[in-house]
Amino acid sequence: MTRLEAFQRLLPLLGRAAVLANLGKNTYDLFAAGHRPENFYTWGAMGTVSSVGLGLALARPDLRVVVLDGDGSLLMNLGSLATIAALRPSNLVHIVCDTQTYETTGGQASHTAVAADLAAIGRGAGLSHVEAVVDLDALAQAVRRGLAEPGPWLIVARMEGTATTASKVPRRPIYDKYRFMEAIGSTGR
Amino acid sequence: MAESLKSNGYQMVAYVPDEVADRLLQLLHRDGALTMVSATREEEALAILCGGFLGGKKGVLVMQGSGLGNSINALCGLAIGYQIPFLMVISERGRLGEFNSVQVPLGRAAPRIFEALGVQAFWINHPEEIAPIVEGATKLAFGGGLPVALILSTALSGGKTWR
Repeated sequence: MTRLEAFQRLLPLLGRAAVLANLGKNTYDLFAAGHRPENFYTWGAMGTVSSVGLGLALARPDLRVVVLDGDGSLLMNLGSLATIAALRPSNLVHIVCDTQTYETTGGQASHTAVAADLAAIGRGAGLSHVEAVVDLDALAQAVRRGLAEPGPWLIVARMEGTATTASKVPRRPIYDKYRFMEAIGSTGR
Repeated sequence: MAESLKSNGYQMVAYVPDEVADRLLQLLHRDGALTMVSATREEEALAILCGGFLGGKKGVLVMQGSGLGNSINALCGLAIGYQIPFLMVISERGRLGEFNSVQVPLGRAAPRIFEALGVQAFWINHPEEIAPIVEGATKLAFGGGLPVALILSTALSGGKTWR
Protein backbone atom coordinates (compact mmCIF):
# COMPACT_ATOMS: atom_id res chain seq x y z
CA MET A 1 0.00 0.00 0.00
CA THR A 2 1.03 3.58 -0.53
CA ARG A 3 0.47 6.23 2.10
CA LEU A 4 -2.12 7.99 -0.07
CA GLU A 5 -4.05 4.74 -0.51
CA ALA A 6 -3.82 4.16 3.23
CA PHE A 7 -5.19 7.60 4.07
CA GLN A 8 -7.98 7.28 1.49
CA ARG A 9 -8.95 3.99 3.13
CA LEU A 10 -8.78 5.38 6.66
CA LEU A 11 -10.61 8.70 6.27
CA PRO A 12 -14.14 7.23 6.05
CA LEU A 13 -13.48 5.29 9.27
CA LEU A 14 -12.51 8.31 11.33
CA GLY A 15 -15.83 10.05 11.96
CA ARG A 16 -15.15 13.29 13.84
CA ALA A 17 -11.81 12.12 15.26
CA ALA A 18 -9.06 14.74 15.44
CA VAL A 19 -6.22 13.87 13.08
CA LEU A 20 -2.73 15.31 13.48
CA ALA A 21 -0.39 14.86 10.51
CA ASN A 22 3.37 14.75 10.70
CA LEU A 23 5.24 17.36 8.69
CA GLY A 24 6.02 16.62 5.06
CA LYS A 25 4.40 13.80 3.16
CA ASN A 26 1.86 12.89 5.85
CA THR A 27 0.52 16.43 5.76
CA TYR A 28 0.49 16.45 1.93
CA ASP A 29 -1.18 13.05 1.59
CA LEU A 30 -3.74 13.73 4.31
CA PHE A 31 -4.80 16.88 2.49
CA ALA A 32 -4.83 15.03 -0.85
CA ALA A 33 -6.84 12.15 0.59
CA GLY A 34 -9.44 14.53 1.94
CA HIS A 35 -9.40 17.80 3.80
CA ARG A 36 -11.71 17.97 6.80
CA PRO A 37 -11.85 20.61 9.53
CA GLU A 38 -10.68 18.11 12.13
CA ASN A 39 -7.33 17.71 10.32
CA PHE A 40 -4.32 19.48 11.78
CA TYR A 41 -1.36 19.86 9.41
CA THR A 42 2.13 20.36 10.81
CA TRP A 43 4.92 22.01 8.86
CA GLY A 44 7.89 21.90 11.21
CA ALA A 45 9.15 20.76 14.61
CA MET A 46 9.98 17.32 13.19
CA GLY A 47 9.47 14.49 15.64
CA THR A 48 6.98 16.23 17.89
CA VAL A 49 3.62 15.24 16.39
CA SER A 50 3.24 12.22 18.71
CA SER A 51 3.70 14.56 21.67
CA VAL A 52 1.19 17.08 20.32
CA GLY A 53 -1.21 14.14 20.03
CA LEU A 54 -0.52 13.08 23.61
CA GLY A 55 -1.22 16.61 24.89
CA LEU A 56 -4.45 16.85 22.92
CA ALA A 57 -5.56 13.38 24.02
CA LEU A 58 -4.96 14.27 27.68
CA ALA A 59 -6.71 17.63 27.32
CA ARG A 60 -9.73 16.16 25.54
CA PRO A 61 -10.55 12.67 26.84
CA ASP A 62 -13.94 12.95 25.10
CA LEU A 63 -12.23 13.00 21.68
CA ARG A 64 -10.46 10.29 19.66
CA VAL A 65 -7.05 11.61 18.65
CA VAL A 66 -5.31 10.03 15.66
CA VAL A 67 -1.65 10.83 15.01
CA LEU A 68 -0.21 10.16 11.55
CA ASP A 69 3.51 9.92 12.28
CA GLY A 70 6.53 9.04 10.15
CA ASP A 71 9.36 6.61 10.83
CA GLY A 72 12.07 9.25 10.63
CA SER A 73 10.08 11.56 12.86
CA LEU A 74 9.32 8.96 15.50
CA LEU A 75 12.99 7.96 15.54
CA MET A 76 13.65 11.58 16.57
CA ASN A 77 11.27 11.35 19.52
CA LEU A 78 11.31 7.74 20.74
CA GLY A 79 10.97 9.09 24.26
CA SER A 80 7.39 10.05 23.43
CA LEU A 81 6.50 6.35 23.32
CA ALA A 82 7.68 5.96 26.91
CA THR A 83 5.72 9.05 27.96
CA ILE A 84 2.55 7.83 26.19
CA ALA A 85 2.96 4.42 27.87
CA ALA A 86 3.32 6.11 31.26
CA LEU A 87 0.30 8.42 30.85
CA ARG A 88 -1.88 5.81 29.07
CA PRO A 89 -4.38 8.09 27.29
CA SER A 90 -7.07 5.61 26.22
CA ASN A 91 -8.22 7.85 23.33
CA LEU A 92 -4.91 8.08 21.44
CA VAL A 93 -4.32 6.18 18.19
CA HIS A 94 -0.74 6.63 17.04
CA ILE A 95 -0.22 5.42 13.47
CA VAL A 96 3.31 5.33 12.07
CA CYS A 97 3.56 5.39 8.28
CA ASP A 98 6.81 3.47 8.05
CA THR A 99 8.19 4.08 4.58
CA GLN A 100 11.76 3.39 5.73
CA THR A 101 12.87 6.64 4.17
CA TYR A 102 13.27 10.36 4.78
CA GLU A 103 11.04 11.26 1.85
CA THR A 104 10.99 15.04 1.83
CA THR A 105 14.77 15.26 2.00
CA GLY A 106 15.36 13.00 -1.00
CA GLY A 107 14.44 9.47 -0.02
CA GLN A 108 17.42 8.59 2.15
CA ALA A 109 17.03 5.35 4.10
CA SER A 110 15.93 5.57 7.73
CA HIS A 111 17.08 3.06 10.33
CA THR A 112 13.82 1.12 9.98
CA ALA A 113 15.15 0.07 6.56
CA VAL A 114 18.11 -1.53 8.29
CA ALA A 115 17.33 -2.84 11.74
CA ALA A 116 15.01 -0.70 13.88
CA ASP A 117 11.58 -2.20 14.65
CA LEU A 118 9.26 0.57 15.85
CA ALA A 119 6.55 -1.83 17.04
CA ALA A 120 9.08 -3.67 19.19
CA ILE A 121 10.38 -0.34 20.50
CA GLY A 122 6.80 0.60 21.35
CA ARG A 123 6.32 -2.63 23.31
CA GLY A 124 9.64 -2.04 24.99
CA ALA A 125 8.53 1.47 25.94
CA GLY A 126 5.63 -0.11 27.81
CA LEU A 127 2.78 0.09 25.30
CA SER A 128 0.49 -2.92 25.38
CA HIS A 129 -1.74 -2.27 22.32
CA VAL A 130 0.72 -2.48 19.46
CA GLU A 131 -0.02 -3.68 15.92
CA ALA A 132 2.36 -4.06 13.00
CA VAL A 133 0.61 -4.21 9.62
CA VAL A 134 1.69 -4.37 6.00
CA ASP A 135 -1.52 -4.23 3.96
CA LEU A 136 -4.62 -2.05 3.66
CA ASP A 137 -7.10 -4.52 5.12
CA ALA A 138 -4.99 -5.16 8.19
CA LEU A 139 -4.41 -1.43 8.64
CA ALA A 140 -8.14 -0.66 8.39
CA GLN A 141 -8.92 -3.43 10.86
CA ALA A 142 -6.31 -2.19 13.33
CA VAL A 143 -7.55 1.40 13.07
CA ARG A 144 -11.18 0.33 13.53
CA ARG A 145 -10.11 -1.41 16.71
CA GLY A 146 -8.06 1.59 17.79
CA LEU A 147 -11.06 3.86 17.35
CA ALA A 148 -13.43 1.55 19.20
CA GLU A 149 -11.37 0.07 22.04
CA PRO A 150 -9.42 1.78 24.80
CA GLY A 151 -5.76 2.46 24.00
CA PRO A 152 -3.32 4.01 23.72
CA TRP A 153 -2.72 2.25 20.40
CA LEU A 154 0.46 2.15 18.38
CA ILE A 155 -0.06 0.94 14.80
CA VAL A 156 3.10 0.62 12.75
CA ALA A 157 2.17 0.32 9.08
CA ARG A 158 4.85 -0.61 6.59
CA MET A 159 4.01 1.22 3.36
CA GLU A 160 5.38 2.91 0.29
CA GLY A 161 5.89 6.61 -0.02
CA THR A 162 4.27 8.83 -2.61
CA ALA A 163 5.21 11.60 -5.01
CA THR A 164 2.61 13.99 -3.55
CA THR A 165 4.02 17.49 -3.22
CA ALA A 166 3.19 20.42 -0.98
CA SER A 167 2.11 22.53 -3.94
CA LYS A 168 -1.64 22.09 -3.46
CA VAL A 169 -1.65 22.20 0.35
CA PRO A 170 -2.45 25.63 1.78
CA ARG A 171 0.39 26.55 4.14
CA ARG A 172 -1.40 28.70 6.71
CA PRO A 173 -0.60 27.38 10.17
CA ILE A 174 -2.25 30.08 12.27
CA TYR A 175 -5.53 29.96 10.37
CA ASP A 176 -5.42 26.15 10.54
CA LYS A 177 -4.95 26.25 14.29
CA TYR A 178 -8.11 28.31 14.83
CA ARG A 179 -10.09 26.27 12.29
CA PHE A 180 -9.01 22.99 13.91
CA MET A 181 -9.77 24.18 17.43
CA GLU A 182 -13.21 25.38 16.38
CA ALA A 183 -13.89 22.05 14.64
CA ILE A 184 -13.07 20.03 17.75
CA GLY A 185 -14.89 22.44 20.06
CA SER A 186 -11.92 23.95 21.93
CA THR A 187 -12.16 27.50 23.16
CA GLY A 188 -8.43 28.20 23.50
CA ARG A 189 -8.73 30.17 26.74
CA MET B 1 4.53 29.85 42.53
CA ALA B 2 2.20 26.84 42.80
CA GLU B 3 -0.58 29.06 44.20
CA SER B 4 -0.02 31.66 41.49
CA LEU B 5 -0.16 29.07 38.71
CA LYS B 6 -3.39 27.64 40.06
CA SER B 7 -5.04 31.02 40.58
CA ASN B 8 -4.15 32.00 37.01
CA GLY B 9 -6.06 29.04 35.61
CA TYR B 10 -3.31 26.68 34.49
CA GLN B 11 -4.56 23.15 33.93
CA MET B 12 -1.66 21.21 32.43
CA VAL B 13 1.98 21.03 33.51
CA ALA B 14 4.62 19.35 31.36
CA TYR B 15 8.10 19.11 32.77
CA VAL B 16 11.45 17.45 32.89
CA PRO B 17 12.39 16.79 36.51
CA ASP B 18 14.59 19.44 38.08
CA GLU B 19 16.06 19.91 41.51
CA VAL B 20 15.20 23.59 41.87
CA ALA B 21 11.62 23.11 40.67
CA ASP B 22 11.10 19.82 42.47
CA ARG B 23 9.15 21.30 45.38
CA LEU B 24 6.96 23.28 42.99
CA LEU B 25 6.23 20.14 40.98
CA GLN B 26 5.43 18.20 44.16
CA LEU B 27 2.94 20.87 45.23
CA LEU B 28 1.31 20.90 41.80
CA HIS B 29 1.13 17.08 41.79
CA ARG B 30 -0.45 17.09 45.23
CA ASP B 31 -3.15 19.50 44.08
CA GLY B 32 -4.67 16.69 42.03
CA ALA B 33 -6.60 19.02 39.71
CA LEU B 34 -3.78 19.53 37.24
CA THR B 35 -2.75 17.22 34.41
CA MET B 36 0.91 16.53 35.18
CA VAL B 37 3.14 15.12 32.44
CA SER B 38 6.72 14.10 33.07
CA ALA B 39 8.40 14.17 29.65
CA THR B 40 11.66 12.59 28.55
CA ARG B 41 12.91 15.80 26.96
CA GLU B 42 12.00 19.47 27.00
CA GLU B 43 11.07 19.57 23.30
CA GLU B 44 8.59 16.79 23.97
CA ALA B 45 7.15 18.62 26.99
CA LEU B 46 6.67 21.75 24.91
CA ALA B 47 4.88 19.81 22.16
CA ILE B 48 2.60 18.18 24.74
CA LEU B 49 1.54 21.64 25.93
CA CYS B 50 0.90 22.71 22.34
CA GLY B 51 -1.43 19.72 21.98
CA GLY B 52 -3.02 20.62 25.30
CA PHE B 53 -3.66 24.16 24.06
CA LEU B 54 -5.32 22.82 20.89
CA GLY B 55 -7.56 20.95 23.32
CA GLY B 56 -8.32 24.14 25.25
CA LYS B 57 -5.97 23.74 28.24
CA LYS B 58 -3.64 26.40 29.62
CA GLY B 59 -0.20 24.95 30.11
CA VAL B 60 3.04 25.50 31.97
CA LEU B 61 6.42 24.11 30.93
CA VAL B 62 8.76 23.58 33.88
CA MET B 63 12.42 22.86 33.15
CA GLN B 64 15.94 23.87 33.97
CA GLY B 65 17.81 26.32 31.80
CA SER B 66 19.67 23.68 29.82
CA GLY B 67 16.31 22.46 28.53
CA LEU B 68 15.90 25.67 26.60
CA GLY B 69 18.49 24.37 24.15
CA ASN B 70 16.60 21.10 23.76
CA SER B 71 13.32 22.84 23.04
CA ILE B 72 14.22 25.46 20.46
CA ASN B 73 13.06 23.78 17.25
CA ALA B 74 9.64 22.98 18.72
CA LEU B 75 9.48 26.46 20.21
CA CYS B 76 9.94 27.84 16.68
CA GLY B 77 8.11 25.27 14.54
CA LEU B 78 5.10 24.81 16.82
CA ALA B 79 4.69 27.48 19.48
CA ILE B 80 5.82 30.58 17.61
CA GLY B 81 4.92 29.30 14.15
CA TYR B 82 1.32 28.51 15.16
CA GLN B 83 1.05 31.24 17.83
CA ILE B 84 0.43 28.80 20.65
CA PRO B 85 0.80 30.37 24.10
CA PHE B 86 1.98 28.81 27.35
CA LEU B 87 4.13 29.77 30.30
CA MET B 88 7.71 28.55 30.64
CA VAL B 89 9.07 28.39 34.18
CA ILE B 90 12.81 27.92 33.90
CA SER B 91 15.28 27.43 36.71
CA GLU B 92 18.43 29.26 35.85
CA ARG B 93 21.68 27.42 35.18
CA GLY B 94 25.07 28.70 34.14
CA ARG B 95 24.70 32.07 35.82
CA LEU B 96 25.51 33.45 39.30
CA GLY B 97 26.76 30.64 41.52
CA GLU B 98 27.14 27.99 38.80
CA PHE B 99 29.63 25.27 39.74
CA ASN B 100 29.54 23.20 36.54
CA SER B 101 31.59 24.68 33.69
CA VAL B 102 29.65 22.93 30.95
CA GLN B 103 26.38 24.52 32.13
CA VAL B 104 27.84 27.98 31.60
CA PRO B 105 27.72 28.29 27.78
CA LEU B 106 23.94 27.90 27.46
CA GLY B 107 23.27 29.94 30.59
CA ARG B 108 25.41 32.73 29.19
CA ALA B 109 23.63 32.54 25.83
CA ALA B 110 20.07 32.23 27.17
CA PRO B 111 19.19 35.95 27.36
CA ARG B 112 20.28 36.44 23.77
CA ILE B 113 18.49 33.27 22.66
CA PHE B 114 15.24 34.67 24.05
CA GLU B 115 15.96 37.99 22.38
CA ALA B 116 16.76 36.36 19.03
CA LEU B 117 13.55 34.30 19.16
CA GLY B 118 11.43 37.28 20.16
CA VAL B 119 10.31 35.41 23.28
CA GLN B 120 9.70 37.76 26.19
CA ALA B 121 11.51 36.59 29.33
CA PHE B 122 11.23 37.92 32.86
CA TRP B 123 13.68 37.14 35.66
CA ILE B 124 12.27 36.59 39.13
CA ASN B 125 14.75 37.51 41.86
CA HIS B 126 12.52 37.97 44.94
CA PRO B 127 9.61 35.87 46.26
CA GLU B 128 7.25 38.85 46.39
CA GLU B 129 7.64 39.27 42.61
CA ILE B 130 6.21 35.84 41.87
CA ALA B 131 2.48 36.58 42.08
CA PRO B 132 2.48 39.80 40.02
CA ILE B 133 4.88 38.43 37.42
CA VAL B 134 2.93 35.18 36.94
CA GLU B 135 -0.28 37.16 36.59
CA GLY B 136 1.25 39.63 34.14
CA ALA B 137 3.02 36.93 32.15
CA THR B 138 -0.19 34.92 31.89
CA LYS B 139 -2.07 37.89 30.46
CA LEU B 140 0.81 38.60 28.10
CA ALA B 141 1.14 35.00 26.88
CA PHE B 142 -2.55 34.30 26.34
CA GLY B 143 -3.39 37.81 25.21
CA GLY B 144 -0.46 37.91 22.82
CA GLY B 145 -0.78 34.31 21.65
CA LEU B 146 2.86 33.42 22.29
CA PRO B 147 4.89 31.64 24.96
CA VAL B 148 6.41 33.76 27.74
CA ALA B 149 9.39 32.70 29.85
CA LEU B 150 9.83 33.22 33.57
CA ILE B 151 13.31 32.57 34.86
CA LEU B 152 13.77 31.57 38.48
CA SER B 153 17.11 33.23 39.13
CA THR B 154 19.73 31.59 41.29
CA ALA B 155 19.31 34.58 43.64
CA LEU B 156 15.69 33.46 44.20
CA SER B 157 16.22 29.71 44.35
CA GLY B 158 19.75 29.37 45.69
CA GLY B 159 20.56 27.43 42.54
CA LYS B 160 21.27 23.77 42.03
CA THR B 161 23.42 21.98 44.57
CA TRP B 162 26.07 19.41 43.80
CA ARG B 163 24.70 15.89 44.11
